[in-house]
Amino acid sequence: MTVVELSDADLVRRIESGSDAAAESELFRRMAPRVRLYGLRHLRDGYAADDLTQQVLMTTLEALRAGRLREPEKLASFVLGTCRMAVLDLRRGAARRARLMEEFGADTPLSIEPSVPHLDGERLTRCLEALKERERTVVVMTFYDERTGSDVASFLGISAAHVRVVRHRAIHQLRDCMEAGA
Amino acid sequence: MTHPIDVAVLADYWLAALSPSDEEVVEQHLLECDACGSRLREIIALADGIRRLARTGSLRMIVSDAFVSRAADEGLQVREYSSAPGGSVYCTVTADDDLLIARLTGDVSGVARLDLAFCDAQGVEQRRLPDIPVRAGAPSVLYQESMAFAKAAPDNTMIVRLLGIDDGGREHLVGEYTFHHTRSLPGPGEW
Repeated sequence: MTVVELSDADLVRRIESGSDAAAESELFRRMAPRVRLYGLRHLRDGYAADDLTQQVLMTTLEALRAGRLREPEKLASFVLGTCRMAVLDLRRGAARRARLMEEFGADTPLSIEPSVPHLDGERLTRCLEALKERERTVVVMTFYDERTGSDVASFLGISAAHVRVVRHRAIHQLRDCMEAGA
Repeated sequence: MTHPIDVAVLADYWLAALSPSDEEVVEQHLLECDACGSRLREIIALADGIRRLARTGSLRMIVSDAFVSRAADEGLQVREYSSAPGGSVYCTVTADDDLLIARLTGDVSGVARLDLAFCDAQGVEQRRLPDIPVRAGAPSVLYQESMAFAKAAPDNTMIVRLLGIDDGGREHLVGEYTFHHTRSLPGPGEW
């Protein structure tokens, strides 16, 4: 069986049992995009997410080599804990970077890794136009400002739970519409 | 939480709208499941695409004061025209404008449903936004016209009507607003 076919837990066992460059590199390949997603979600910045990925994977590998993960099945929990600690460290770095970008007047769009699917802007416009007015307003206001509950709810005079229902319906519809045109 | 994780739940995760316990379940799963990771990437791309589109001002939609303020804070150039029922407004857009907003005041209290109808200069309805999202008793409706459309539009007059619909489906006029658009950008004299 090649390393690509091994489960995450089996990879951990191989790494723990001694120097195994193939298993280590497979673990990196497999975990890096997952950790990066965590980084994007919490740091909202592609560069900071890259830093986080590097840091978390180095720490994880170090722990595995030292045999500190007693239950290989719990790799995800271990990595999640490591991610949380690393985010606390990197937030300071991201804040510093944001201040610098502001100082130099640069536009700082969210940098998204190449594997994030390309989106057809014209199709997205048509799919948004196909939504009901309420759904379009909720979904655009939500994602424009990344706000969810109370702002949109008070604007519409409905509960945050109701906004959530409208948002969910709109997201399903948008995704179906985008897929239909893919 | 079921696998695969619903895309709307992944969107909530991206928006930090999940409870801490649900967030933990999602994060743990995402560190084990590449299929759900791909779905989250789709949501991120969708969120990013919507944000970019919103910034272009090309979407026709009802917006809030908070949305307009946030856009202005972000450095977007907002051109806003306000009109009371029966009002007539002369308007234009310039190359520097990003968002075009019509603030339509009117009494929308006690209205079960509100439609926004767009009519030509003769008052003949051309299209309609049904059941627009407005809080009962809101002092005004903010409609965003497509900036791409406005920049391309020749001189024209557009009549906008706010129509209240009661539970029995009967329609009544909340307000009629006339916009006389003058083109200030180069382009053909008519469509």
